[in-house]
Formats: sequence, structure tokens, C-alpha cells
Amino acid sequence: MDQTSRTGTATAPPPLGEHLRSPRLRAAMLVQQEALHAAREYLRAQDFVELLPPLVGPVTDPGGRGAKALDVDYYGQPYKLMTSAILYKQASLRGFPKLFYIAPNVRVEPEETATTGRHLVEFHQIDVEIADASREEAQEIAAGLLTHVTEQVWSRIPGVLAELGREETGFADVRSGKYDVCTHHEAVTRLQACGHPQNPDGEIDWAGERLLSLESDRPFFINDYPKGSRGFYDREDPENPGVLRNFDLIAPHGYGELVSGSERESDYATIVTRMRESGENPAKYAWYLKEAREGIPASAGFGMGLQRLVRFLTGLDAVWQVSAYPKLPGVMAP
Amino acid sequence: MSALAAAGFPEARIRARARNGTAEVFPGPDVYGTELFGPDAYGTDPAHGPGDGLDRARIVPPVFTPERLEKLIDLAREPEFTDVDLTSRVGGFASRLPLYLSAFGSTRAGSGDLAVHATRQAARLGIPMVIGENMVPVHGYRRAEDSGRSALLGRIEAYLDAVPDGVGGIVVQQSTEDADSEVWNLLYSDPSLRPLLETGRLAFELKTGQGAKPGLGGMTVVGGAEAEALARRFTVRKVFDERGERQLRCATPGTFTDEILRQQLRFMRNNFPKAGTWVKFHPGRDIGDAARTAWAAGAGAVTVDGAEGGTGYAPRVFLDQVGLPLAECLRRIGRPDGCLLASGRMWEGGRALRALALGAGAVGLGRAALIAVDEDPEHGLERLVDALALELRLLISALGKYTVDALGPEDLWWPDAPAAPVPRYAPDPLGAVR
Repeated sequence: MDQTSRTGTATAPPPLGEHLRSPRLRAAMLVQQEALHAAREYLRAQDFVELLPPLVGPVTDPGGRGAKALDVDYYGQPYKLMTSAILYKQASLRGFPKLFYIAPNVRVEPEETATTGRHLVEFHQIDVEIADASREEAQEIAAGLLTHVTEQVWSRIPGVLAELGREETGFADVRSGKYDVCTHHEAVTRLQACGHPQNPDGEIDWAGERLLSLESDRPFFINDYPKGSRGFYDREDPENPGVLRNFDLIAPHGYGELVSGSERESDYATIVTRMRESGENPAKYAWYLKEAREGIPASAGFGMGLQRLVRFLTGLDAVWQVSAYPKLPGVMAP
Repeated sequence: MSALAAAGFPEARIRARARNGTAEVFPGPDVYGTELFGPDAYGTDPAHGPGDGLDRARIVPPVFTPERLEKLIDLAREPEFTDVDLTSRVGGFASRLPLYLSAFGSTRAGSGDLAVHATRQAARLGIPMVIGENMVPVHGYRRAEDSGRSALLGRIEAYLDAVPDGVGGIVVQQSTEDADSEVWNLLYSDPSLRPLLETGRLAFELKTGQGAKPGLGGMTVVGGAEAEALARRFTVRKVFDERGERQLRCATPGTFTDEILRQQLRFMRNNFPKAGTWVKFHPGRDIGDAARTAWAAGAGAVTVDGAEGGTGYAPRVFLDQVGLPLAECLRRIGRPDGCLLASGRMWEGGRALRALALGAGAVGLGRAALIAVDEDPEHGLERLVDALALELRLLISALGKYTVDALGPEDLWWPDAPAAPVPRYAPDPLGAVR
């Protein structure tokens, strides 16, 4: 792999026409096309069914870290553009115990994320959910997906990657499926030991995530985020209150988080309580809670950021370079 | 009217309820918007004379003043009341005085021009300001198609225009219904608030209740048309008249357990790392546990609104019969683990000092601020605060102290407490306050 560390400090996008004509975007789109093809191939081989996700709804994933949903006027009712299809994934499990979407999402991220190189307002996720699965089973699928996609892109369009300056040897660890695992607590301890003021109750902040990612030569999972750092649907560990049965998959060399996933809360009373714990008004979630009350299967699942995956494969500086129509947080763009 | 009489029984009130039903549960809607609600300003308890428990404590200067000696050594001259330093840290903000402008209830009195005048003056005074919940659900927020300034943004701009550098701050409340409007999210990502975030002068306050009606959510009186518009998000009830010309809009108080509180505060810290995290409690009987839970979860300020507090609309039975008095709240909290703020009938230096001596880091002005700007929209609040600050300086210096945080329970004497030998050190904050 090209061992230069990624800082995400690439300049802002040029005017859209110029961007669409650039050879770099063309190369990125060829990689994206192969990555999507390989992802579908892998998931379908594992008996997953692809559904098309909803675009708007009365409620969406409340998200975190200051990311907002966009409101739309839906016949006089305030609806939301999907920030994630998590609620629909869970509701779909009774008909489709293994399902996935290639889901478009819109998140009005705080402006400070415009320079991380890892945030776009419009992006896509490879969104996967598995009924009756554990976190470890979901991690196995996530790792298998990343391995397979990397393998296929390298075998189908090695020239495009080479043109972008990527070296095949650098992907040996990714392609072998050798991924490390640590806990959120261990990650926090590591960061604090090197002088980074990481909040132990919260998400690993952007700078901290980059530090951890830069330190590593292979992808690694961070498990067990604390409650209060993630949405109400991430399942609390019954053996370890206050800790969630969830994970992130972090790419090496500074590319940062590619995947977030978790076992899900499926018990109705627990879901309502967890909604309150995250400051949500359960009344907003009427349709979802009706499903939960009737019984949604236990499950685990994840979302893999497509643009982040393509950026990792191409080695480009920022996700806007792998998006045909990039919208950076706080920047007005067509 | 029959000839039936019942001496010694509240006959007139019973007859009023027999005539008007649920309308009698509330203060008359006619005075809504012109009257500030809250318990009787100086209810007279025949057993104790005027004022509430907090007002009955006397401020007791000592003869020996070792801290004055320290100040004397520092200044090389006898200290005076003008040497008292009133600057304070209020929930992470630098404040010129141990005061803040409380959130106003959402009655028309609290969300109109008076609030904007109070905002400007609070800014000039260099004290923080809390903006109440339901400003956005009720008054809206700037949307793409709406170039007008909302009430909320108008107040924020008025504050920013007048506040000196390096002091003050804005705190925005959110309650359960506000969460639907995502008030904090809107503000946190609004470019016009960047100056506040960059200077560390924005905080968010989780509102769990209020002094005027502990255990209930917000209440306002709305006209028929407004009632219809709000009915989608709030419970709206025809309690005043059957036609519903005026209706009662109720918000929910929200459900809290210690875990829900802890996690909501963590969520706030996680989602809005650049904003301070405050929490406001009503005078609940478990206020001590609630405050400790909040500080342990990282709250930068805990506000306790005593039963004497409130600018909002409330049922009569709540105004007069529900909630712990502020003095008892402070007693149950004891020595605070973090920044404690207190509100409830604050308007002059004596009561403010008593709250500060019982652990509060600052006190909030609510109704007093509105009355002051009603008296003089340009400078009424500033003059009220000047008088309060002068009283504080005089009182603190008389106690032989020169900073707000030097005050302690030893500075008060409680006539209600059973006579006991005066302890040599570490007295119980209040003794038994009834």
C-alpha cells in the first residue's frame, strides 16, 4: 500500500463541471463500481436479500455528534430525509432475516467536519442486518465484505489502482482478513497515554480516531462503546451494564472508521427506556414502536460507508474526491 | 343561590367551582400575559412572620475576621466593601456577578419585547442568560423559506451585540417536546452561533422541571387558532370554557430515572462537545440524589428552581402547595460536587447571599428581571442588579470575606433550628429547616 498517511486535508472541490471531467474522479468511480459489484456478489452469496431503502419517513435515526436530519414538508406533516435506515432494517427482519441496502443518506453534519476528509452531507452506506445474529457474526460479515471487495477490486482493475499510486503489497493484511480487536476502554487508555484528551464516556473524537488509525497497519475493530455515545438501538451488554454490544471497524493508515455496527435492542420496554436515555420523545417513533411491541427479531448489523470504502481503496485524500456530486458540511454546492 | 351556609368552610371557592368547573383550577386566563405567576411573593406564615424559610435565616457577621486579615496583608490597607470581588464562574462561563438571567416561562409576558430588553441588559452586565424551552416549538426557528428572525435568534443576537468580550454566555433549554424540534441541533450547527461556540460561551440546559409546577411540564394559555396549530405536538385542553376560545397547552414533564438522566447528560456531552452541559431541576424531594447524579455524569451546572420560583403559568394548587422550598433543596444537596445554581424569588442581596452561603455559585433572576425591564425597558434591570450587587458587597465584606466562594453555612443563623451548642467547625449547613 502507498504508506503515506492520510490527513484528509485535501483542498475544497473545484466547480462541479471540472470535478466531473477529472481523470481522478473517473478512476474513483470505476473503483466504486467494482466495489459495489463485489459487495452485492459477496452478500448475495451469503443469502442476503437486497431491498431498496426508504428516502423519507416521519422519523429517522436520531444520529449523534451534532449531525441533523433534513426536514421535508410531507403533505403538511414534517417528515425527515433518512440519515440511516436502521429503523426500517429492524422492522424488515420478520420478512427478510438477512437483508441489505445500498442506502443513500443525508446528514447535515456540523461544519467542523468539513475538513476531516471523511464527511459528506450526502453519502451511501452498504447497510446490513442479520436476524438472531451476535456482534461477532456481524463482524465476521463486515470483515468478509471488506476482504472480498478489496480482493475483487484488485483482481479486476489493478491498473486503475496502480494509476492512483496504490501498491498491491500494502493490501496484504486487508485481503488476508487479519483484523485486530480492541475495546473502547483500551482505545481511550491508549489515547490518553499519548496525551490526547479523549472523553471516556463518549465517541472516539475525530482527532483520536485518526491517531489510532495512523498507528495501525491493518484494519481493527473497536468494541464496547459506552452507552451515551451511540443510538438507542445499540444493545446494552446485559453482563456489563453501561457498555454496548457494538463495534466500529477502523481502516489503517489514517483512513479511519469504515463501519459502525451493533447487536440491536429488540425488547420493546428496553427500546422505550433507551429512547428516553438518549433524550428522544418516544411519541415520534410511533410506527417503529408498534412493530417493536408486536415483536421484532433480535439482530445484529452494520453500515459500511461506501465513499469511505472507496477512498480507502483509492488512497485519495478526501471523500469528496470519490463522490461525483460532493456536498461538504457547511459548503453550498449543487 | 340557595340560603345554605357553611361557616368556616371555603364556601365561596366551592361555589365558584360549582359554577365554573376546571377554570377555577387555574389563575384567570384574563391576566395571562400581564401577570407573572408564582407563589405569593411574600406569603405570611403566622408562625414565622414574613418570607419563606430562606428569608428567615439571619446573616451573621463574626467579630473575628481572619480572612479580612489576609486581605489586609494583601492590600497593605484596611479592606473595604469595594474590595469584594463578585466575579464568578457560572457553569463554566466567566460572569461579572454571581447572577444569571433565568429562563422566562412561555407566557406572553416572558417571550415578548420585555425578554429582549432583559437580554440586552443582562449582556451589558456581563452575566449569563438562560433561554427557555419551547421557544422553538411555539415560536419557530429560522427555516430556509423564512428569512425573518425568530424570537430565539433575536434574543441571541441582542445578547451578542451587547456582551463584553470574555464574559457571559448563553444557555438554551430543551425539554421533551423541544427534542422534536431538535433545538440544540439547530443551534449547534447554526453559523450565526459560531462566535459563541468559539469563545466557549454556549451551553445547553436539560430541563427536567420548574419551581412553579414541580412534576408538570410547561403550560400556556393559547387562543383557539393557535391551539389548533399546537395540538399536533402538545396536549391542548378546553379547561377554561366549553367553546375553547382560550385553551390550555400542556407539555409533558418527561420521564426520568437516575440512569435516564445520566445517559441524557452523556449524550449531550458526546453530541455537543463544544457546548456546556447544564441541567435544571424542579424542587423534588430527591433533589440531593438528582444533583449528585448530574454532577457525576459531567454536568457543568445544576440549577435548582425552588418552589418559590416561576414566571410561567401554573395550577393554583401547585403554586401554593407543591414542591420543596429552596432552603430545603439546598439543605438536601449539602456541599455541592460542582457548580450549583439557585433560583426562586431572587431580587435583592440578602436572599441572594443566603443562597450563595448555602452552596449556590450564582442565583437566577426571573420575575424580578421582567418587572425591572417593565419599569424601565432601557436600564431597569441594570439598576436592579446594581442595587443587588452593592448589597452583596456590603454583606460579604461585613462577613469578613472578599469573594463569593468564601461564603459558607457559618454565615447564617436559623431561628427555626433547635438551640444547640455552636460547633467549633464544620457546622451542618442548615440544621433542621422546617
